[in-house]
Amino acid sequence: MARNESNMIQKISSAFILGVVLFFTASLSAQPTVESGKTLFRNYCATCHDKTMTRDATGPSLAGAEERWSEFPREDLYGWIRNSQALIASGHPRAITLFKKWNSVMTAWPNLTDEDLESIILYINDASIAKTPIAGQGNRGSGAVEKSDNTVLYYGLFTLLGILSLILMRFIGSLNEIAAAQDGTSYERKSLLQKLTSKKFISFLIFVFVLIAGYNTVTRAINLGRQQNYAPEQPIKFSHETHAGLNKIDCQYCHDGARRSKHSLIPSTNTCMNCHKAITVGSKYGTQEISKIYASIGYDPNTSKYIENYEKMSDEDIKTIFKKWFATNYIQDKGQEAFIRKGEEAITGQWENMVTSLTNEQKKSVRGPIEWGRIHNLPDHVYFNHAQHVVVGKVECQTCHGKVEEMEVVHQFAPLSMGWCINCHRQTEVQFSNNEYYATYENYHEELAKGDRDGVTVEDIGGLECQKCHY
Amino acid sequence: MKNSQQGIWIGAKDLNRDEAFILEAQNEIQNPSLIDQLGNKQVAEGLESNRRDFLKYLGFGVGAATLAGCDIPVKRAIPYVIKPDEIVPGVATYYASTYMSGGDYCPVLVKTREGRPIKIEGNALSSITNGGTSARAQAHVLSLYDTNRYKKPQIISEQETKHVSWLDFDSAIKSVLKSSLATRIVTNTIMSPTAKKVIAEFTAAHPNTKVVTYDPVSSAAILEANAQSFGDRTIPDYRFDNANVIVSFNADFLGTWISPIEYANQYASKRKIKGVKNVKMSRHIQVESHMSMTGSNADNRILVKPSEQGVAIAYLYEQITGTNVSASSRLNSKAKAALSKVASQLKKSAGSSLVVSASNNVNEQVLVNAINTTLGNYGHTISFVHASNQRQGSEKEMTSLLAELKGGKVDTLIFMECNPLYNSSVAAEMTKAVEKVKNRIGLSYSKDETSSICNYIAPLHHGLESWGDVEAKRGIYSLIQPTISPLFDTRQGEESLLVWAGSGAYVAGFEQKYMNYLKNNWKASYFATQDKYLGFQSFWDSVLHDGVYNTVGYSTATDFRADLSAAARGISSPSSSELEVQFYEPVTVGNGQFGDNPWLQEMPDPVTRYTWGNFIAVPVNFDGEKSFKGLNNLVDGELVDVTVGDKTYRLPAIQQFGIMAGTVAIALGYGRSSGGFASKGIGKDVNGSLGSSNGMTQYFSDSVSVSNSKGKEDEYSSVQYHHTMGVTAIETKTGKTINADEAALAPGYGNVFQGFQGSLTERTVIRHTDLDHLEEAVDHLQHERAHHQKLNGHTLYPFGQYSDEKYSQGHHWGLHVDLNACIGCGACTIACMAENNVPVVGKSKVSIHQEMAWLRIDRYFYGDVENPNTVYQPLMCQHCDNAPCENVCPVNATNHSSEGLNQMAYNRCVGTRYCANNCPYKVRRYNWSDYTTADIFPANQVEVNGEETPYGADNLTRMVLNPDVTVRSRGVIEKCSFCVQRIQEGKLTAKSEQRRLQDEDVKTACQTSCPTGAITFGDRNNKKGELYEKFHSPLNYIVLEEVNVQSSVQYTMKVNNRDKTLDA
Repeated sequence: MARNESNMIQKISSAFILGVVLFFTASLSAQPTVESGKTLFRNYCATCHDKTMTRDATGPSLAGAEERWSEFPREDLYGWIRNSQALIASGHPRAITLFKKWNSVMTAWPNLTDEDLESIILYINDASIAKTPIAGQGNRGSGAVEKSDNTVLYYGLFTLLGILSLILMRFIGSLNEIAAAQDGTSYERKSLLQKLTSKKFISFLIFVFVLIAGYNTVTRAINLGRQQNYAPEQPIKFSHETHAGLNKIDCQYCHDGARRSKHSLIPSTNTCMNCHKAITVGSKYGTQEISKIYASIGYDPNTSKYIENYEKMSDEDIKTIFKKWFATNYIQDKGQEAFIRKGEEAITGQWENMVTSLTNEQKKSVRGPIEWGRIHNLPDHVYFNHAQHVVVGKVECQTCHGKVEEMEVVHQFAPLSMGWCINCHRQTEVQFSNNEYYATYENYHEELAKGDRDGVTVEDIGGLECQKCHY
Repeated sequence: MKNSQQGIWIGAKDLNRDEAFILEAQNEIQNPSLIDQLGNKQVAEGLESNRRDFLKYLGFGVGAATLAGCDIPVKRAIPYVIKPDEIVPGVATYYASTYMSGGDYCPVLVKTREGRPIKIEGNALSSITNGGTSARAQAHVLSLYDTNRYKKPQIISEQETKHVSWLDFDSAIKSVLKSSLATRIVTNTIMSPTAKKVIAEFTAAHPNTKVVTYDPVSSAAILEANAQSFGDRTIPDYRFDNANVIVSFNADFLGTWISPIEYANQYASKRKIKGVKNVKMSRHIQVESHMSMTGSNADNRILVKPSEQGVAIAYLYEQITGTNVSASSRLNSKAKAALSKVASQLKKSAGSSLVVSASNNVNEQVLVNAINTTLGNYGHTISFVHASNQRQGSEKEMTSLLAELKGGKVDTLIFMECNPLYNSSVAAEMTKAVEKVKNRIGLSYSKDETSSICNYIAPLHHGLESWGDVEAKRGIYSLIQPTISPLFDTRQGEESLLVWAGSGAYVAGFEQKYMNYLKNNWKASYFATQDKYLGFQSFWDSVLHDGVYNTVGYSTATDFRADLSAAARGISSPSSSELEVQFYEPVTVGNGQFGDNPWLQEMPDPVTRYTWGNFIAVPVNFDGEKSFKGLNNLVDGELVDVTVGDKTYRLPAIQQFGIMAGTVAIALGYGRSSGGFASKGIGKDVNGSLGSSNGMTQYFSDSVSVSNSKGKEDEYSSVQYHHTMGVTAIETKTGKTINADEAALAPGYGNVFQGFQGSLTERTVIRHTDLDHLEEAVDHLQHERAHHQKLNGHTLYPFGQYSDEKYSQGHHWGLHVDLNACIGCGACTIACMAENNVPVVGKSKVSIHQEMAWLRIDRYFYGDVENPNTVYQPLMCQHCDNAPCENVCPVNATNHSSEGLNQMAYNRCVGTRYCANNCPYKVRRYNWSDYTTADIFPANQVEVNGEETPYGADNLTRMVLNPDVTVRSRGVIEKCSFCVQRIQEGKLTAKSEQRRLQDEDVKTACQTSCPTGAITFGDRNNKKGELYEKFHSPLNYIVLEEVNVQSSVQYTMKVNNRDKTLDA
């Protein structure tokens, strides 16, 4: 609390400066929508094709697929996707080449429409061009919510109104001149420059500037310390999309604190091992990321055994184990020849990546706990309890965390502001009827029975009071 | 009752009704100027700034602000690698263990969060304490994070300290022991049977070893007397719950004597009152010289001089047995008259009475045994079957050790977790004599007088890092288990001894070696004493889970036999000296053992309410008029020179009611010359002035003189007159009695409001009566309450109109305090500090009314001014449903919840302190400084006891903080929250289990800590709950009900069982 307070003054003043400086620099970023293509890809293609479009999986990598088919009519590509066997049977030259190369055929998807296929192609192109999202705060372009941008329209309108007012000014000037001529009085017509440098206009400008800068300062000060869309770089490129989305692992399988503690808890390494004892190579990063789990807990993937006395093992020995593992997989993947050419460089790179991810100033060894970047940070004076919301309130995880199962890199979905909390407490109904605890709210039960009341919100049982969250 | 006062009073100042007192009340929340606060001219000058500074700070501020605005630091979330099954981060885990320090004992549950102990609760399964705790047990957790701890083994030679590994240390010690011709182990009472076995192994391996046991405050006379009378050198099992008449000769059995938690629990069971008719309660008569905590709870106190204790016992013996031992001529007549009446009462309650004495004279204790035998109390209120092991020390052993030391016969001294160079009977001489000892090995926890002369320091685990077992009473065991991995490179004392003994039973390979040893011992010794479990492991698991294990006791006591005439001759004879001094063990810091604990240092002494140090309690002389002067006309806070024997101490004086004329009293345990920064140099060490008779320490002296005032103490840190409610004073101008608080608020208009509703002069803070007038008093109470309630209804917004609608459903929290059960021990105040992260502020801040305790125990006197009765009133935020504090907050930082809680939102508070000003109970506390260094500006930090950082500001001490409670920063108000974090936790448990909330779900920290069960918290709407029943007792009252704040805390009227015939 105190930290916040002391920082507050600094932050408000900095917000003012920022508010002034950043006033006119509105962001102009806009993204094309590839949403339907993404969904279709996920439903139909992702089982066999690599999501990043860069690697061959069960099926070939799809980056550049459109270009590779460009010498044939578009219909051929559609047909290839809908029913590849038919195209092979028809003797299409590219179809036959591909069949020879891969020696297998793709499942037929006759129900996909041309529009669907265009969306998928659009998505494939987009995904192959798009880089991995830049880690850092407030910088996520492709968030879950995509808004159409009206900035251009506003600028247009602004300019239009400006021109209009200039015309009107001229018009009024002319009218004044005519009126003066009729009255016989002299009228000195002011030039545009005179008008723009008049006291009136300048004070008007200052007024507008103060108004807008003040508004900006206040809104920015309110938002200080809030981290919506925050997505820090994590030591392991863990994909919730793969785990929760594709493989449909229940959130609370790993975040087992959510049902019994205030914290949802980042799973301990031994929880990861429940699955990753079997799954040793990832679909996307191969051995690179999963090996970090092994390094943390002390599991030798070469022998599929836990390493004894791992805590006493020297860094050099650990390095040997994992380099061996990287090498084995490299050879499997790219062949002996490639390994001889640039294998050493690759596996050293992999090891160095592991060291950078798992160590820091305090933690010198790759052994031991993985230090994740904490995404959801509440101020110290806020008490939040997961169990209360998940078990008692039966709130879905996604309500506050967004569609995590679709996030490759998790970001903070909700603003986690007090207004946001309060609003939910106002709207959410308590699981009132089948919990004996609430039997003590006799009046509400009576009213419910009589039909005088539709439901009981969190607010009704005191959910907006200070000491429900601050103590 | 002559000299009887109508009302209640706090102290002499209050009775004198000085107008100066109004001034003090005016400064109820003192706000000295910054310069005064810093007390340092240099700093003050440094604070003056000029234009250049302004520009510098502005520039820095703008720059820093811009930077701070740009980046938000990445916070780390670090999960376990392999998560232990029993730990869920964010959920507290409780372990059963035992708090033990020498003979201090309390079975506890240790609350740990994320692997660190943060709070201690009593273990309700214990048949000794029934879940009660003491202030010391509560504060135990803080000492784990003591910055004064030894962190590594060290060998000290020729002014050079070498930190070595345990391996090197052990080989050094082993070679020392090998060549040692005479080794002595000095220790406090050891209650652990396994530790005794360890020592036996050590002694077997090093046959020229002897063990010397002493207690910081000796009870050796009881042990010796029982050895003489019954052939059983032990402390018997006293049962205060079976006694209808209790006579205690200077035994502070509720505060410090032998097993205070146990006795308090038993005592209170006979003091609680249910209903109005046919009420029975025990009668407690205390024969003493100064007012001890136990004495303050007594119905009658018989005052004798310290040196008269012996004859008082002998006189009672005479009266009970009819044997003349010529005691009557030597005792003061008042005491004599009273004691003869006490004797007849005892005889009437033969078999259900109990006489105890803290005397350290064997003959006097033999007489006490004779009295109890004649009364037939053995087998009823005293037994040997579950005799206590809580005191085993022998001064004779210490004296002979001293002789050996002086003769240079000892090569090696091992100090086992004790500080004999400070608190043994031979401390001063021993300090000189140990220089002759070649090897001084300290099994020490932290730096103290003893360890600082050691040349080998084997640092110890804290109790919460150790394994162990305790047999506090015969056949009643409890286990100690670690609740945290050792913080430093330390080792248990037992383990060290085993290593040095080269024990075969000590298997080095085990991760927890002493646990292994302990388990083996339990398998061999106790597994066979039960038939519930077939396998040892399940037996062990169950004992470890419960923390306690009871089996049958045994007694080797024979029938009473004694040479009583010889005993009567051997009692101490009354001195003719005009002034005597009584030394006593304070409830807080013991005889120095707990001095390093800032919580205990800042806890007010129950009776005088002095913090941080000792003082001289002087009797109050009553001149029949309205003048109450202390000895030598001393008033509170004046420094005096006290000369005892050849030593002079300068101490602040406190005018103490209920002290025998010609007696002064000084607490032991202060004035540590070597210790942590909480204890070093605080108060004065009077251990050097203790008397001795037949080799037994006597805790009084008749060679004492007290000087006149030598000026005021600068930092007089008594909280006696802080946060008062409705004390009165005489206005000089009019000569009328006015309310001091009110006068402070509206100078000159103090008595304008007299007689009106809400008049503050006749405030109903305390309601009391005696047992004989209970029915009338309850009638009167009911009548008065009805009257108040009627008047309270005459407002524009009568409470009744909206309370039903507001609080008729859901929860409506309330708290009940039974003033008859409250003994003032202060366990709740420490529990509150631990639970709610209440900061320690230090002596200087206490002296300017800035103590932060959310829960204070007010002490009031009533009745006879020369020998008053006392009532303790725990006072916390009353959670008024019509709260005056809420209405005056300009930012609505304090407001009311639908569950009747007076909420405090710290992050909303701007620090106007209007609420504290408007609170009639004065329970709101303001953070004047940054006590936890949550604030970054060093100028805002408070200096405590000369150290640079305040208590609780370093990262080690901060580990004790409760993560569920916000740490408050400078500039906000705080107060009791009814442990809202516990309420919310309890509600959540009930909700997730889909059932109604029960009493067990929510218990406040003060409630669980109380050894007597005086505090009950609960839901007023739960008609089946304990609180509902207690709230409907006819004895209940609400403090200041007439001011219509509708508080949620109710008190039971204090009822004493005073025998007025004894006053005559």
